[in-house]
Amino acid sequence: MAPRRDFYEVLGLRRDASAEDIQRAYRKLARTYHPDVNKSPEAEEKFKEVSEAYDVLSDPDTRKRYDAFGPDFRHVPDGVDPQTWARARAGAPGPGRAGDERVRVDFGEAGIDIDDLFESMFGARGRGRWGPITGADQEVELPLTVEDAYTGVHRWLTVSGTEGNRSIEVTIPPGVTDGQRIRLAGQGGQGTGGAGAGDLYLVVQILSHPRYRVEGRDIYAELPVAPWEAALGASVAFDTPGGEAKVRVPAGTSSGRRLRLRGRGMPNPSGRNGDLYAEVRIMVPSKLTKDERRLFEELSATSTFDPRRQR
Amino acid sequence: MSTALSRPAGLDLQSFARLASLHPDLVRRFVALGLLEPRRDASGRMWFAYGDLVAVARLQRLRRAFSLNYAALGLVVDLLDRIAALEADLRNRPRPARGRSWI
Repeated sequence: MAPRRDFYEVLGLRRDASAEDIQRAYRKLARTYHPDVNKSPEAEEKFKEVSEAYDVLSDPDTRKRYDAFGPDFRHVPDGVDPQTWARARAGAPGPGRAGDERVRVDFGEAGIDIDDLFESMFGARGRGRWGPITGADQEVELPLTVEDAYTGVHRWLTVSGTEGNRSIEVTIPPGVTDGQRIRLAGQGGQGTGGAGAGDLYLVVQILSHPRYRVEGRDIYAELPVAPWEAALGASVAFDTPGGEAKVRVPAGTSSGRRLRLRGRGMPNPSGRNGDLYAEVRIMVPSKLTKDERRLFEELSATSTFDPRRQR
Repeated sequence: MSTALSRPAGLDLQSFARLASLHPDLVRRFVALGLLEPRRDASGRMWFAYGDLVAVARLQRLRRAFSLNYAALGLVVDLLDRIAALEADLRNRPRPARGRSWI
């Protein structure tokens, strides 16, 4: 576990902060990180830290003890003189750790109450008025490529929680859409007083792709064709997220025409698959060979086609 | 009549209060303030959904952390729900196509 941060640092305060400063800093941070306001899993840990710091610093007595004895103040019995304490710790045999141990044994576990720490998450002041409370739901974004969303994917997610980071294995089924929420029951915020955890929602975010544009379950992609393919019609090979497909380009197709490949869009586990739209884009060679030039010139002399009139 | 055999479509006040670890009077108070909206059957009995347990937990957390009174609590959860709905809309809105033209 990471070492506990200084309570003043947690609240962003100097050690000479007034009671009012402490209150203001806590309120502001609580509004930012409260698990029902901020759905990210990191916020829960942060909120807990802020609440604990506030619990200690908002009470003048515990604050005085914290100032005098530091993070170990809970182990120090009442009525101990801070200087004596500091000397006792410094003079303890062996490294500081051993001293720590000795003190803990002497005064028992009285100082640390796990339930206390746990409860402090939601402010100890209200304790006793409520029974167990289920944890808050949380959300994390899950960025997926178009290909992964199409085929479905296996992922290990690292989620930070109050007991540090943990990994969750998730199976994303084929055909999830942008903005879709995947619920992982019981993987959200911790409950208090023995109540269950909330749920964790993965919010799918389909990453932009150089070739595919996804709208809902429909996929749009450019289909580059040669002028003669567009004019005469052709059957061309075309890459789709589900593998290569053959597209029949009808004779007389102009740029911008959309050719629909029914059911070749995103799979839909509970209904009709999306469609894939190939948007025709007529390309010409940037450099013509001698023969090509001759043929195009011939076509130009023969044809009466005027695209600016016909439109 | 088959109603006697059908599974109750929710929780009655007593079971709901027990599951939420709240006094039934407090649950009634939540209902009176519009913080919970149970279904009522023909005889006027309240039936709570399982999802209301989640709603109650949220009310408790928010009240604890911000010392809100119940009226303010209603406003806060309404606003949080509206923000969540707006954020979901924003996510689902098709993003404008970037880059060069399609033609």
